[in-house]
Amino acid sequence: MNPDPGAARPDLNQEKSLLSRIWQHRALYIAISPFYLLFAVFGLFPIGFSLYLAFHKWDGIGVMTYNGLNNFKYLLSDVEFWQAVGNTFMIWIYSTIPMLFFALIIAFLLHAPFVKFKTLFRVGYFLPNVTSIVAVAIIFGALFANNYGFLNYLLQSVGLPVVEWLNAPWGIKVAISSMVVWRWTGYNAVIYLAGLQSIPNTLYEAAKIDGASAIQSFFRITIPMLRPVILFTVITSTIGGMQLFTEPQILVGNDGGAGAAGMTIVLYLYRESFINNYFGYGAAVGWGMFLIIALFSIVNWKLVQGKSS
Amino acid sequence: MIRRKRTCWVAVILVCVLLVSGCSIWSEPSDSANNKKVALTLWYWNRSIDDKLIAKAKEKFPNIELTAQKIGGDFKAKLKTTLAARSGEPDIVALNDWIMELFPSEDRFYNLYDLGAGEIEDQYLEWKWKQGVTPSGQMIGFPMDTGPTALFYRADLFKEAGLPSEPEEVARQLDSWDAYAAAGEKIKDAFGGKVFLTDNIGSVYNQVLSQGTERYFRPDGSFIGMDSPLVRKSWDTAVAFKQKGLLANADGWTPTWNAAMNNGEIASFVGAVWMKQVLQEAAPDTTGQWRVTRAPGGDGNNGGSFLSILKSSKHPQEAFELIRWLQSPENQLEQYQTLNLFPSAPGVFDQPAMKEEEPFFGGQATGPVFAASAQQVPDAFFGERYPSVHNIITRRLNDIAKQNSDPQQVWTDTVQRVERELQR
Repeated sequence: MNPDPGAARPDLNQEKSLLSRIWQHRALYIAISPFYLLFAVFGLFPIGFSLYLAFHKWDGIGVMTYNGLNNFKYLLSDVEFWQAVGNTFMIWIYSTIPMLFFALIIAFLLHAPFVKFKTLFRVGYFLPNVTSIVAVAIIFGALFANNYGFLNYLLQSVGLPVVEWLNAPWGIKVAISSMVVWRWTGYNAVIYLAGLQSIPNTLYEAAKIDGASAIQSFFRITIPMLRPVILFTVITSTIGGMQLFTEPQILVGNDGGAGAAGMTIVLYLYRESFINNYFGYGAAVGWGMFLIIALFSIVNWKLVQGKSS
Repeated sequence: MIRRKRTCWVAVILVCVLLVSGCSIWSEPSDSANNKKVALTLWYWNRSIDDKLIAKAKEKFPNIELTAQKIGGDFKAKLKTTLAARSGEPDIVALNDWIMELFPSEDRFYNLYDLGAGEIEDQYLEWKWKQGVTPSGQMIGFPMDTGPTALFYRADLFKEAGLPSEPEEVARQLDSWDAYAAAGEKIKDAFGGKVFLTDNIGSVYNQVLSQGTERYFRPDGSFIGMDSPLVRKSWDTAVAFKQKGLLANADGWTPTWNAAMNNGEIASFVGAVWMKQVLQEAAPDTTGQWRVTRAPGGDGNNGGSFLSILKSSKHPQEAFELIRWLQSPENQLEQYQTLNLFPSAPGVFDQPAMKEEEPFFGGQATGPVFAASAQQVPDAFFGERYPSVHNIITRRLNDIAKQNSDPQQVWTDTVQRVERELQR
């Protein structure tokens, strides 16, 4: 490559070579540069700016003033923030456990040899995932409404007392969770199905010859072989669950509904920044949430991984 | 070979430039190129200014090239982002009753007094005018419509419960919040608890508060305190309404509220003039049964909007002339007829158009009721932190109404929460 290889000392040559190699392939680097430029503008810069913002006081329009660690101090003693963290965890538990459970069952059934029209079912289960969340939230709002809701109509028609879903702290969480379950079960089922299809059939045949029952082969072969896929769905639904925003916002509004029972961390961030104009504090909430998600993901990972060893 | 390489390079650079510039080269406004026309942009939201009036303004001011943009979605957030970005700002912008949130940024707006607003000050309601003036005396918002409040009630349900049903008599008998609550007990008894006096706890609190001469702050910015007589009175009245079982717990802007109104589960509410439209759309089955009269406890205001000129505008004088014409008493009267926007210029209150009979209200002319209310609204200072304090209180009141929380406990919590809020 170098037109005169003997001219330069070897180590200098190596130092030069990185830059010169980049220069040599400049057309390629430029060709892939749009992603990095866009990422820098819309990804990296906001991340850096939010960290900067977290140490400042800013109403969004006026002058930014340095605020030191005050935003973080306020965050640690903020009852509403910790309530939002608690709410988010509750909603995550209410939604993720049934969601992954149903997804596994659906995937198992879809994988079973006796099911016909598999593609149709796969598309059908995936469909909720591509429906607009706003539309979903409005429909669920009509289902769970206190006075004229469809669920209460059903309860009344079989002689049961009416439940004030959107006034009770647990009711709001159930309503939000059910929306998450409805939307993401099919998505996870399709992922599980892909995992199931990658398990070699020979394992099941061998088990059958050894006299294993269907249940035994499910727990001894299917589940262990699916562990990486389960890990993946747990991590993605953890991140998704921690970032829950649109569902509660449309269903119960910016204040999280009665008793702020539907206030999630991101909804709180949104309210503090864009409704109450505490942009610096909103950024601090964002970083608090980042730490929580990171910690929680590690714990989850250890738990799901740990079972194998 | 070299040529091909060069074309390739040119293409790559072009793509990069387009990406980075966001294709702005095409949308550059050709401001000066026009034949001496002054270009002005106006931001408003749907139904805040009549589109026909804007079309007329374009004829009326041939020297102005007006671009009126209807901004949908979260108007306030879009305006604030634009102000923060300091680019793409309109010349003229409509502001809602959250105008006080922008008072700390008064330097981003023209002082309308400098542009000649003082000349026409006496044509507008004094309390409304003052809402657009910052504590330092700069006028940043020009009065558009207002929201005087009154009592909306179901004449048929009132009659059935043995209450007066004619507007004058209702106003005379239900002149205080206590008398209103007593009427609510009568309604509850008459309908076996199936009909509630009013919609929700927040609206009771809001309306009592809006009848007072102060809010949470003094004009110098200091906090009056949660123990101010008005805040206590508003809180206690709202809690009493809950404890007496007079609330339907139907929040505004929800399908539940609409259904409750349409099904006749709510006999009355104190609301601003713009609730006429909301109510007519929510409860078509109750046409002819509603009446409007002066509210118990006094008159108040809820909502209403303003027009401002941003400091970035290059033609503030022309912008002001346009605003002045758009919101002239005659044009406000016209917008009352087309969009139900209630005028802030009392000079037109006597016009026949304000006294038209309305079939939805059983042939009653509701205009004079709101006109009388508008002239009696007490002048009150809000302060830029009004929204955050007010929001904390109404949120906590909802806990009392919907979750049966202990009012004393909630009050103590709320006081602490507000104090904490004011510290940051």
